[in-house]
Amino acid sequence: MSMIVRLAWRNVRRRPAQAALLLLMLCLSTTLVSLGLAINETGREPWNRLHNSVNGFHVQAYAAYHTREQLELPRLPQPDPANAASADDQLAELAAQPGVVAVGGPWPILFAEGRVGGVALPIWVRVLDSQPAAVGRPLVISGRWLDDGDGVVVLEDGLASLLNVAPGDEVTLAGQRLRVRGSAMTTSIRRYPGEFPATIWTNRATAAHLRASGAVPLGAALELRLARPEDAAAFVAARAPTYPDTGSLMAWERARSRANGMEPYTLVLGIIATLLAGLTVATAAVLVTGRMAAQSRQIGALKAIGVTPRQALAVVLVEYLAVATVAGAIGIISGTLLSPLIGRESPILYGAPAAPPITWPRAVTAFAVAMAVVVVGSVHPALRGVRQSTVRALASGARPPRRASRAARFAAIAGIPLPVVLGLRSAMRRPGRTLANAIGLALGVAMVIVGLGASKATRDFLASQAMDEEEAVVRAANAMLIDQAVAILFIGAGLLVALAAVNAMIVAIFAARDAARNHAILRAVGATPRQTVISFVVAQLGAGLLGCAVGIPLGVLLYNSTVTGSAKDLPTMALPALTYVVVGLAVPLLYLMAIIVPAARLARRPAAGALTYE
Amino acid sequence: MTNFVLQAKGLSRHYPGDGVPVRAVDTVDMAVETGEAVSVMGPSGCGKSTLLHLLGGLERPTSGEVWLGGQRVDRLSETGWARLRRRSVGFVFQAFHLVDELSAVENVELPALLIGASRKAARGRALGLLERLGVAGRAGHLPDRLSGGERQRVALARALVNEPLLVLADEPTGNLDSGATAQILRLFAGVHEAGQTLLLVTHDPRVAATADRLLTMRDGSIVEDVRLEGGLSRQALLAQVAGWEP
Repeated sequence: MSMIVRLAWRNVRRRPAQAALLLLMLCLSTTLVSLGLAINETGREPWNRLHNSVNGFHVQAYAAYHTREQLELPRLPQPDPANAASADDQLAELAAQPGVVAVGGPWPILFAEGRVGGVALPIWVRVLDSQPAAVGRPLVISGRWLDDGDGVVVLEDGLASLLNVAPGDEVTLAGQRLRVRGSAMTTSIRRYPGEFPATIWTNRATAAHLRASGAVPLGAALELRLARPEDAAAFVAARAPTYPDTGSLMAWERARSRANGMEPYTLVLGIIATLLAGLTVATAAVLVTGRMAAQSRQIGALKAIGVTPRQALAVVLVEYLAVATVAGAIGIISGTLLSPLIGRESPILYGAPAAPPITWPRAVTAFAVAMAVVVVGSVHPALRGVRQSTVRALASGARPPRRASRAARFAAIAGIPLPVVLGLRSAMRRPGRTLANAIGLALGVAMVIVGLGASKATRDFLASQAMDEEEAVVRAANAMLIDQAVAILFIGAGLLVALAAVNAMIVAIFAARDAARNHAILRAVGATPRQTVISFVVAQLGAGLLGCAVGIPLGVLLYNSTVTGSAKDLPTMALPALTYVVVGLAVPLLYLMAIIVPAARLARRPAAGALTYE
Repeated sequence: MTNFVLQAKGLSRHYPGDGVPVRAVDTVDMAVETGEAVSVMGPSGCGKSTLLHLLGGLERPTSGEVWLGGQRVDRLSETGWARLRRRSVGFVFQAFHLVDELSAVENVELPALLIGASRKAARGRALGLLERLGVAGRAGHLPDRLSGGERQRVALARALVNEPLLVLADEPTGNLDSGATAQILRLFAGVHEAGQTLLLVTHDPRVAATADRLLTMRDGSIVEDVRLEGGLSRQALLAQVAGWEP
């Protein structure tokens, strides 16, 4: 075992650039995976702090005063008193359950049309006492809490912030002009616009006036604290089946998980991480394949002195798994540390986001991604390399083709110039490598298309909507989130294209090594350096074109199945044809720039060196 | 006036070594007449192959001149050399150096296509040469499917396809068994009899004995230049080198 580890370590030291590149790509994948998972937890710590300070609920219940049929009417009628009494009974029954140690409410909830900060919007009015409740007392952020006076309200802080309403201002509810005493925050409801409609608190005296002015009682909310908070989910699960479907029962964990509003980021990061992992598989496969071809003599020598194929395979795996382990560790830490930076843009978080603690599931996922990528990418080419016969490994350079390429022969018959035909033959010789290269590029191109599509669809959608005042405000708030999500998408796309270009360059470097002998032969029989470069570029360019040909439809497919699948309001992909043309031209051009360096180096290489190598 | 196809004047190739440069080829003067076959022998590492590469433009000299067909060629660019090789120089290598992706006939027609011959004409010339060298039946096979002797015959056909001024052969029998070696020797003799100018680098006295002249190299320099006239001197060469240890 020590010999295997020693050989693996020597290999890393001998090819530090390859190991560094693989490490970089794996780190990006694991960081994004870890970030995607951690982002949902960045609001957990502020939520926990707020939940403690408001003496938050373990179980929250809501009972509706209306029947299902009434709730579906365009305008809510006043509730049937019998229904309202029944709903109040349900809540009282819950409050009396064993395990309940404290109760907040029930608090009546009214529905009213209102005007806040000059914007007309629907409002849920929660009726609380001026005295702090035993459970779920909102935390005052500005001004002060309700007193027993008439005509006073406290705004939920998200609403007050978004519409710039301060203590002392006036709002209108059900036609009544009310004075704002302050703003407050609670985990009982999500911050506006995460929670919709917006919430305003008022006292019983004011609520009575509102009812008289036409505000409709919707139902009542109850908040319970249990002796054992960890029993909340079971408490809910045991009672949910018999609880009326017009109401709701929710455990505190569920409330916490839906309070973040980070789903767009999770989706975007998930897509990028998946594509990046795919690209890294392709890179690992190219690196191992190239290394196996270049190291066949070394492997042959090892096998000749008694190293078994399994041990030779183990050397490769140990080296790559070691890199994956480091990448997993870096990824989990960096993803976790980066998560608050993205979370800070959310308007519905309760204060500044914080890096969540590293948890086992996230750590295992990040490591599993890194391990899976290197195993999938390296085992097959490594196995193929070590299975080569010892004599062949000792004698050979690149594996010769088994049959002439029919496609290239057809190209020759069709009168395509000789350097191009030679390039095509070379590309056909290693279809696996061409394919891996093409897959890498296709993933990058797909991501660019997804980014462009998401950006355009969002802009088109917002422009096409006839919005009322409130929608305009909410959308403006959400636009910031969407813009950032699209920006992340583009950064991810740029990253993928850049890595695909690096991937292409690695492939080109290995291909240049493989092609060195052939090019030297061609020059020995009279081909000019320019002709050999053209031949080389053609051999490599096929992958670039294939990457575009597959990447563009893949991007459309990915967009339609993920972005529009999760955001129903957004239309399916509809980019102008020119965009596809620009992407289709720009990516092969970028690819060409990536491969031109090894091509030029190949042309400068003296022919004699390659010919005397064997 | 003597008609030289190839001349080297003060030709040197030095490589950086540990402090002292390695003189792979050191101030070589030589000339080859039209239709002449010249063998170059010498121990391993004496600079034979490097000399051949310098004469064929595969390697750049450190100093000195190379003249081919009355034209000074050592200053040509890589492209210039490539164009010159197409028409004027055919190479045969110990390791055959056929393009793996091309069939035997495609390898042979490659130089013809490079000088602009039509596909039909190039194919015709290639098949004719393969026929002449006895491998027409293997024309459609990839190099990997050919024996060593067959590969070398294909390589020889490729070297001859554009009827070059000069054929340079580097250990053409070095990778062949005795039967294939005999076949290749007969072919070289036939090519020489047809008036082709040949320069062969070899360890094998039997190959060297097919030439008109024998150059012997040591430490990068030509130390002996012997004309092999008639069967007697060839026999003498073979006798001299009977115990030759390559």
